[in-house]
Amino acid sequence: MSALRRIGDVVWEIDAAARPDMRVPARIFADDRLIDAIRQDGALEQLQNVATLPGIVEAAMAMPDAHQGYGFPVGTVAATELPDGVVSPGGVGYDINCGVRLLASELELDDVRQRLESLVHDLSRTVPAGPGRNPRHDFATADLDRVLEEGCRFLAERGLALPEDLTATESAGSLPQADASQVSPKAKQRGHDQLGTIGSGNHFLEVQVVDEVFDGAAAAAYGLRRGQVTVLIHTGSRGLGHQVCTDYVRQMDQVMAQYGISLPDRQLACAPLESPPGQAYFGAMCAAANFAWANRQAITESARAVFRRAFGDAGRLRVVYDVAHNIAKLEEHGGNMLCVHRKGATRAFGPANRETPERYRAVGQPVFIPGSMGTVSYVLAGNDAALDLSFGSTCHGAGRAMSRGEAKRARTGAEVRRELEGKGIIVRCPSSGELAEEAPSAYKDVERVVDVVHRAGLARKVARLRPVGVIKG
Amino acid sequence: MGDRRGGRFRWAEHTGELELEIEAGSEEAVYAAAVQAMSELLEEAEEADGASRRGARAPAGATARDIAVEAPDRARLLAELLAELAFLAETEGFVPEALERLSVDGRRLEASVRGHRGDPPHLVKAVTYHRLAFDPEDEGWRTTVVLDV
Repeated sequence: MSALRRIGDVVWEIDAAARPDMRVPARIFADDRLIDAIRQDGALEQLQNVATLPGIVEAAMAMPDAHQGYGFPVGTVAATELPDGVVSPGGVGYDINCGVRLLASELELDDVRQRLESLVHDLSRTVPAGPGRNPRHDFATADLDRVLEEGCRFLAERGLALPEDLTATESAGSLPQADASQVSPKAKQRGHDQLGTIGSGNHFLEVQVVDEVFDGAAAAAYGLRRGQVTVLIHTGSRGLGHQVCTDYVRQMDQVMAQYGISLPDRQLACAPLESPPGQAYFGAMCAAANFAWANRQAITESARAVFRRAFGDAGRLRVVYDVAHNIAKLEEHGGNMLCVHRKGATRAFGPANRETPERYRAVGQPVFIPGSMGTVSYVLAGNDAALDLSFGSTCHGAGRAMSRGEAKRARTGAEVRRELEGKGIIVRCPSSGELAEEAPSAYKDVERVVDVVHRAGLARKVARLRPVGVIKG
Repeated sequence: MGDRRGGRFRWAEHTGELELEIEAGSEEAVYAAAVQAMSELLEEAEEADGASRRGARAPAGATARDIAVEAPDRARLLAELLAELAFLAETEGFVPEALERLSVDGRRLEASVRGHRGDPPHLVKAVTYHRLAFDPEDEGWRTTVVLDV
């Protein structure tokens, strides 16, 4: 990639003139080592492809955890300007509103150490992972439609969410543009019995301890302190979201030419947001996003039940925050209404933004960056400056560094399990293959990724979380 | 019915997903190889998972599924076939074994797939259009399709 040049301490760019079909530059937030990793797979070419989307503004942006995906690289932010700007289902991804929720207990590690094994075991039995279904939340059609259209508000009505859970969730866990009628019967068939389940791949539920605090004021605002036990949930919209994306990539692939759109990668299929197919997808995407928030809320209730069984009232779990990292949002930036696609990227609004929950207005919105399995995760705080740098966005995780095949050839699942248990981490994962695929060595160094985000001013470090128990599908 | 023998498939390296490459002497052999590839993928995953979850949904023996999909081109037909197999695996626990019957008429594909009822993990989220290709090469066909896992 000879057109790549450094334009800042941890910012690189490929000028729009590098290719005749690029409408904006391709911009990458990375240090020297991460940019070398990003250059190794097809991520840069994919980012340049994103820069060809009709209506895209400013730049196609890659976060420091970026890697090759399908269409968009994983770890991309791309904003299109309305009314002609497009929405691209591939720019959200199949796992619509895959995201992360952090729960905080009032317990210290010493309070739970003696019962940690049984706690993790009870969590693994109570929260289905892998191909698990959840008969406790198998909704009939009418109720499933309410989950899709109301998200966490419907769960609150059913006694499965507290009012403070909603105010501690991005968009209050409910996007008003959701339209259940735009979600296909096939999508509903896939998802109807998956609410309250983790799924597989890199999804997990972790019991952690706050290992280090970097920003005392922000940590205090978030109710976090060193030594405190927390729970991190990483999952999304499961089969329902996967099918919504499948349905609309298919549809947009077929109608794109009617809007005069031609793109270098079929997976970028899109339509103007304000066109009928664009509006249909957006309504379905918002519905799937609501399903994902309801999913993480249902898992929260399961985790609360487990902690209550183990510790009684002392085991209360509070939602710190819940962030999406595969989503498209309508946001105003610089006086213009934009459709901001975040594909493997997290919103990171600062203190001045009215969408930052009031309780966090002094410090900025919490952001959670999970590391790979068995490694640390980070709590960050959004910065106002990020609005101008990245449409108020930051990274979402460590980012894969090697293919699944490579990872399985490098380590066996048994070796990975022994390594984690050697660190004192209790692991519940039935699939040895998946353990190998998700080994820490298969991912980039999350500490380096977070360091770049901090240096770039996209978000700032608040606390570090160390896993003590991991449940995976 | 054309010659469905002789198709070969391999899984290529991709950072986050699975990329399936097929070479075959006939279009029919491409589809047969695609079914075999999904069979291998789901059976391996089912075996790897099986020890800890055996009995969650006990295998119910041999069965078959009739599939009918439509798409504007060959590459999309292939993607639709694989997507339908992923859907059946997730919603019915259907693990494909082999393509028994195939009819391709322009934009419509009809097939009967032999398999068994099992408990495959929800491995394949979707079949993407990234690098999707189904093109003539030499005297046969070459295809590429990326699966989101």
